[in-house]
Amino acid sequence: MPVTRKFVEELRAIAGEDALIATEEGRMVYECDMHTFYKGMPDVVVLPATAAQVQGIVKACRRDRVPIVPRGSGTGLIGGAMAARGGVMVGLNRMNAILDVDLPNRCATVQPGLINLWLTDAVRDRGWFFAPDPSSQMVSSIGGNVSTNAGGPHCLKYGITTNHVLAMEIVTGAGELVRLGGAAADRPGYDLVGAAVGAEGTFGLVTAVTVRLLHAPEAVKTALASFTSMEAAAEAVSAIIAAGMLPAALEMLDGVMISAINAGSGANYPDRAAAVLLIELDGPLAEVEAQATRAAAICRERGALEVHVARDDAERALLWKGRKEAAGAVGRLAPTYLLQDAVVPRSKLPVIMRQMEEIASRHGVLIANVFHAGDGNLHPLICYDDRSEEQLARAKAANEELLAAAIALGGSVTGEHGIGYDKAKNLPMQYADADLNFMYRLRGVFDPDRMMNPDKLLPAHPACGEGFRPERPVVPAGAWV
Amino acid sequence: MSIVAPRSVAAALRAVTRADRVADEPAALDAFAIDGVVPRWIARPASVDELAAIMTIAAEEKLAVAPRGAGSVLDLGAPPTRLDLVVDLGAFDAIVEYNADDLTVTVQAGCSLHALNRHLKLHRQFLPLDPPGDAHSVGGVAAAALSGPLRFRYGTMRDLLLGVRFVQADGVPTWGGSKVVKSVTGYDVPKLMVGALGTLGVLAELTLRLHALPEAEGTWFVTLPSAGAAQALVSAILDSTLQPNRLELMDEAALRAASMPASPLALLASFGSVAEAVAEQGERLTRLARDAGGEARGVTGEWTTTTERTPHRTTLRVGSLPGRLAATFDTLRGALARLGAVSTLAAHAGLGLWRVTIDGAAPDAIASLVTRLREAVAEHDGYVVVTGGPADVRRRVNPWGPIPPGALALMRAVKTTFDPDGRLNTGRFVNGL
Repeated sequence: MPVTRKFVEELRAIAGEDALIATEEGRMVYECDMHTFYKGMPDVVVLPATAAQVQGIVKACRRDRVPIVPRGSGTGLIGGAMAARGGVMVGLNRMNAILDVDLPNRCATVQPGLINLWLTDAVRDRGWFFAPDPSSQMVSSIGGNVSTNAGGPHCLKYGITTNHVLAMEIVTGAGELVRLGGAAADRPGYDLVGAAVGAEGTFGLVTAVTVRLLHAPEAVKTALASFTSMEAAAEAVSAIIAAGMLPAALEMLDGVMISAINAGSGANYPDRAAAVLLIELDGPLAEVEAQATRAAAICRERGALEVHVARDDAERALLWKGRKEAAGAVGRLAPTYLLQDAVVPRSKLPVIMRQMEEIASRHGVLIANVFHAGDGNLHPLICYDDRSEEQLARAKAANEELLAAAIALGGSVTGEHGIGYDKAKNLPMQYADADLNFMYRLRGVFDPDRMMNPDKLLPAHPACGEGFRPERPVVPAGAWV
Repeated sequence: MSIVAPRSVAAALRAVTRADRVADEPAALDAFAIDGVVPRWIARPASVDELAAIMTIAAEEKLAVAPRGAGSVLDLGAPPTRLDLVVDLGAFDAIVEYNADDLTVTVQAGCSLHALNRHLKLHRQFLPLDPPGDAHSVGGVAAAALSGPLRFRYGTMRDLLLGVRFVQADGVPTWGGSKVVKSVTGYDVPKLMVGALGTLGVLAELTLRLHALPEAEGTWFVTLPSAGAAQALVSAILDSTLQPNRLELMDEAALRAASMPASPLALLASFGSVAEAVAEQGERLTRLARDAGGEARGVTGEWTTTTERTPHRTTLRVGSLPGRLAATFDTLRGALARLGAVSTLAAHAGLGLWRVTIDGAAPDAIASLVTRLREAVAEHDGYVVVTGGPADVRRRVNPWGPIPPGALALMRAVKTTFDPDGRLNTGRFVNGL
């Protein structure tokens, strides 16, 4: 049902005068997330301040069959926080309080709009941290992290968001305010927290989350090794893991990316390097020292051009500098790029890198790579010029082919960004009809009317009509990778 | 209750597996009774397709089905209210695919956890799940969400299960998750299946994340004079950079049952790492122990905090928090003292998750103890589950305890969505789901 003036007034009465954005200029800010490819303007944006207001909004929308799109910081990479069918966008940014920090019980309860890094900032001086660290962590919200089940460079060792969520309070698509899970482990019953993390807003809106906090490790050691081939670097990754180490992070950059970074502010990677491997170990000092030495030796055995082990925090920051600038550096290669995050089994990294070269040359596109090598989580940035429809078409074709290649190697469509609007069409590559049917029915438990973030996560049912047509991209992406 | 002639069901089952994989003789059936409820048929599928065919027959005949792996925790949950068919996966136990380089393995649900870990050890890898007892199937560990001391470092099945193939109540084989260590493609169906006790589908194949065995491991045994001292030590460890892989608290009776040195309480802490880091952390632990009024010494060889399961022993899981270790200990000890039975207490101290064993008390007395404990721990968000023991106890008190109404409504909706006739493990799961 379309959003009427009367309906907007009802939302205003629920959430307050200053909680509504209804002007066209105001709503335009909310027409896409970091996946600027897809645009859909909400009819109205509401910024509630309490769970009760959220519940009121959901009930009103449900009664009038108005779609709801949740949004945190809008840093998602999948078109998830985009109003594909218009309707009401619920921005949870005002609900950004830390409700409780309970270090003796290793947890904290926060509101969904809290910025990820702010939680670590609040406990760092006492030696604690919140482990999930998407590259967007200085701006992305914990509610968004929970909804997309976000990962990050350090989830190789620490796990992704779902491994750190103990409890959550949600308003379901049916308008019920429900608490799931609890701080005490192993509560009886179905693991509804496990099912709801990563539901991308299709189950409802998160209004509070209890997360695990960890004590910071005694020591952190970072090493950087450069190689003349991706194969050698990938083999070093496998050898490090095979030697029994579980680094906190194992990040890789390819030759295209290295050139782009070197051309910029300069991390000064060797010119001959076709691959750079960043290895971060953390834990007890004695363990980290021993493993860093061993990891460096493994890299040298695999023919590394050079291996640097950072001696202090300043050197460590320098080694990470190039990695952190990667997404920006791609701007030097092309006006914009397509990004995806398919996963392959780690041992298949050399294979997929070879296939990627073939795919790139077949479609005449440049692909830069910066990725989480330790868990086989690719991040190809497929460069193109957005002024050329033809280039865009080739980039898209290469993207789809790459995804198919990853799946054929036993991989997964997405490792950490999620499905959203962007990849809903790709789910059948990984799941049979019966598997998808199970998911459709699971969704119906939480959102019986299917009004929560429609067209996201699951491919549209053929009977649902065409919905929404994506527009051409107009903004060069500067995405969080 | 099905009104179909038993013989034709048996014939149908035999037609989709093999004659010798279906049993309906009374002697065979008795051995597969659950809490005294005897099934009418046993079927042993040799493939996912056979399992699907068996489940399709069960759906057509509206049979109540109980999946069974190693049969190691059949006393978890309420006694079944109906049981027609036991699907015995005990021999559906192959390692389907082991990718040592990727640290992943796919196994059939009946695969023995111990056999799997024996195999993985050849590659210096393991599935870091160590629930009490040595006769579990991997599928059973998933369905019952069993865990052990190693969970402090490695998490539980929920954190290790990457993908799962299961057969729904209507016989449709279904896959959820992925075969790689990192995936957020679609809903996290594996998490929903862990701990669901087979009430949403029969688990068939599981893909799991593995870990490398630590190079060295060392354990320290810390004798402690009081619960207060235990609390002080555990809090100090949690607020330090020590990274134990196991942190287990045992009371005097539990120590005696495990043939360990006598002490009012003791903490067992293990570290797995390179040898230098194990030794160094042990030294720091020893200092922390002294500060808390305890005394630490190194332990050699294997150790366990487990007290055996026996038919007459009631076991409880009490969920609490690590910051309430001393308070929960006092609550439990006080209530158990009034019971006047033989009981042991042990905890995953880093999580505040307790295991209680009770021998020699009347079912009525245990039932009222459980009710009292639930009231006592609920105040701080705790809970009590009867995890095993005589059916008479589990008939007198809801073994799972109350579920908050909002969450329960969703759980009921999940159950009726995927098993509308309530035929999977009928009556055994929370609130009869």
